[in-house]
Amino acid sequence: MTLNRRHFGHMMAASVLLPGTLLPGTLLPSAATAQAAAPTGKLVLYTSQPDRDAQQTITGFRKVNPGVEVEVFRSGTTEVMAKLAAEFSAGQPRPDVLLIADAASMEQLKADNRLEIYATKSIEGIVPSAFDRDMTYFGTKMISTGIIYNKAAKAIPVSWADLAKPEYKGQISMASPLYSGAAAIKLGAVTARPDLGWTYIEALRRNEASAVRGNGAVLRAVATGEKAYGIIVDFMAFNAKAQGSPVEFVFPKEGLTVVTEPVAILKTASNKTAARAFVDFLLSDEGQKLSLSQGYIPTRASVGSPSWMPVGTQINIMPVDIKTVVATTEADKKRFADMFGQ
Amino acid sequence: MTLSERGLRLGQDQIVLILLVVLVALLSMSPLLRLLLESVAPGGIVSTQAFTRVWNNPTAWIALRNSLETSLGATLLAVVFGTIVALVVTLTDLRARNAFVFVFVMPLIIAPQVMALAWLQISGPASPLLNALGLAPPLGARNPLYSREGIILLLAIEYAPLVFLTLRAGLRALPRELIEAGLSSGASKITVVRTIIMPLMTPSIVAGMALVFVSCLGNFGVAAFLGIPGNYLTLPTLIYQRLSGLGPGVLSEVAVLSTVIGSIAIIGIIVQDVMLRRRDYRVTTTSLAARPFALGHWRLPVEILLWSITLFVVVMPVIGLLATALVPAYGVPLSAKTATTANFAYVITEHAASGRALVNSFFLSLAASIIVVLISLVLAYFLVWRRSRLLRFLNLVAELPYALPGVVLSIACILLFLKPLPVLGISLYNTVWIILIAYLARFLVLGLRPVVSGYHQLDRAIEEAAQVAGAGFLYRLVTVIMPVMAPVAAAGAILVFLTAFNELTLSALLWSSGAETLGVVVFSFEQGGESTAAAAMSIVTIVVTVGLALSTLLFHHKLPEGVLPWRD
Repeated sequence: MTLNRRHFGHMMAASVLLPGTLLPGTLLPSAATAQAAAPTGKLVLYTSQPDRDAQQTITGFRKVNPGVEVEVFRSGTTEVMAKLAAEFSAGQPRPDVLLIADAASMEQLKADNRLEIYATKSIEGIVPSAFDRDMTYFGTKMISTGIIYNKAAKAIPVSWADLAKPEYKGQISMASPLYSGAAAIKLGAVTARPDLGWTYIEALRRNEASAVRGNGAVLRAVATGEKAYGIIVDFMAFNAKAQGSPVEFVFPKEGLTVVTEPVAILKTASNKTAARAFVDFLLSDEGQKLSLSQGYIPTRASVGSPSWMPVGTQINIMPVDIKTVVATTEADKKRFADMFGQ
Repeated sequence: MTLSERGLRLGQDQIVLILLVVLVALLSMSPLLRLLLESVAPGGIVSTQAFTRVWNNPTAWIALRNSLETSLGATLLAVVFGTIVALVVTLTDLRARNAFVFVFVMPLIIAPQVMALAWLQISGPASPLLNALGLAPPLGARNPLYSREGIILLLAIEYAPLVFLTLRAGLRALPRELIEAGLSSGASKITVVRTIIMPLMTPSIVAGMALVFVSCLGNFGVAAFLGIPGNYLTLPTLIYQRLSGLGPGVLSEVAVLSTVIGSIAIIGIIVQDVMLRRRDYRVTTTSLAARPFALGHWRLPVEILLWSITLFVVVMPVIGLLATALVPAYGVPLSAKTATTANFAYVITEHAASGRALVNSFFLSLAASIIVVLISLVLAYFLVWRRSRLLRFLNLVAELPYALPGVVLSIACILLFLKPLPVLGISLYNTVWIILIAYLARFLVLGLRPVVSGYHQLDRAIEEAAQVAGAGFLYRLVTVIMPVMAPVAAAGAILVFLTAFNELTLSALLWSSGAETLGVVVFSFEQGGESTAAAAMSIVTIVVTVGLALSTLLFHHKLPEGVLPWRD
């Protein structure tokens, strides 16, 4: 599912109309039966959400489902996935639900036949590009990637292409696709475009862009003036700005890529009722409002847009075909690693 | 002595030996064997695919070369630095040496990740120190720390205290007579150091060297923060890269890469063994410490030099941390107007997990250090004085869990402990006990190396005297050997405690709700973009650790001589 160069506002309007036409009717009944009994017992959640967000998510969920005890393991995306991989290998995966940063990891799990299909009605009103058509994982927010710059920077970029200009040489920091799932998705999206493509990545390399481990490292580099510009996820830039860091964020005019922090139920989940309730909560108005209050763009358009987003901001979403990205990601990463000497 | 008594005595140390072999094998070997199984038979199907993939991957070879370069370089630097400082501090009449020891071991208290960030902060354009001096680099200036040399420098600073503490404990056992004999036969102090002290201290220095080498080999924090932006890949960063790539077969590839690290570590230990086998280092310790060398009119210059180097390498990054902890967000210049205690208030009072983490980490580290030292005291006895082949093998194996990156060891622990223990039917997974077991496996070598060096330097005659007098094995161990070994044992315990206290990579995968460690808290702050809170938490950790170390001074008179490195 792609949204080709469509304005954000339009996309939101369009999404409201879509659900009825999207859902395969045959999948619906199981959703109805699932909602019959109030969930109880223990729910095991593995997540890479920031600590504060994870706590709020659990508190919010338990307000609606007081009968459920939530046991959480929170760590970095790589750590969560490594733990999960070890648990799969030992034959006893523990979590009921996963809430992790990007759809690429979910696609991988789906390909390994680890994810449970849940044809929930809650996707009504959710941006169609944010959830899996086969109903295995569902985006809970939209985290876009744009350009951050230090206020002391001389030039102010308006597009991705600007970063290839000579005056930006040696001044750019970005998350390495070798370490960050979001960056890998972005690499796939950018290289698939005729106007950017691998020529653009090569231009970044010529401009001595430095590939760091993750978004936190990009923020640190730009906020402390180690680099003047960085490629980073929106909320981190805006949160830092709100706290007083000397940074600004721009939405490049070619468009942004988004990751959706999807939630999914494992096939091996022991408490599927509670797991379904958790998915439904995150997609509900309430769950989406929580995302909004945490500074994210919700996937339910009707909920609104975060306060940091200037009124009337027009955002282009770059088309990302997750399946293609996953299929080519190993080759893309290798090419990137060869180019950047990593 | 009757025959039956003799049989009983033999039985006592044999039982201890068997128990010990089983324990160490379980601790050190089982996670590694499980991992090895993953590399040759992922999912139970034998396959050499992972091996061929790694072998044919040029990146793996580059990472191997880089790992060797940084580990060897940093080891050399740390040994030179740590040895010189330990000699000067322990042998001369330097003033305020207790305070100095305190400051010098500080890098051990700060997690390598946090340390690397602090260095970048203090040397970058936003450095409060450089800005105050008007020396701050311009926006976007390339930081020279992002390089092989930068990694070597920071690793050496981080691990020089390992050499320092091991050697200082060894120097405590230096016989006064030998030095006085040398001096009175007309040898200069330098000659005495070169020809008497240094040769006798070879076991301590080699032990410290081995520890630094394996520490560097498995270090992820410094390599990640300085190496990834500098396009300088090491084996631990490559492993992490593979893990974040996911996909099928990742675990087996990671296991293969870990085998490479493990093999290098084993080669390192064999080299260490060879270095020690050439000579006899045993001395009989007198209860009197050697009289310090008078530095004379050199005292003040030496003091100034030592303090300024130490302040530079140790206090600078702590200032960097403090500067970060005192501002509301990254990049806000520190001034009277912007300074805030909000980060400290947040981590101390608001953030419930922080307090829990302090308590958890304290007890986990304390338990780990006590258990490790007890195991080490007995294991080293058999290792050095009984030299059985089986034990020498265990000695090699004990090194491995420490040489591997923490994330790999935790994966191994998950593979091993996910299902309830066989026979007992108890599940350790998702409890605090799995972290303790991982700590014991990982940090055993930190306690073992100083104690082994201690046995190498001890003449067995005293134990044999006790044996002739009819003392049983355990009785001899407790009444004869332990008191003599107290300084090295304490050095080992301190190494284990400090390293476990700020450990981050193991618990990042193994923690569970309510069982947070300090590392988990710092890591989640850093991950959530709350770097200022992470800095504040690190400062709190430093203060707590220094407080704990200071509190040991309250009962130092009850401890054996030379146990506290920061107390003469």
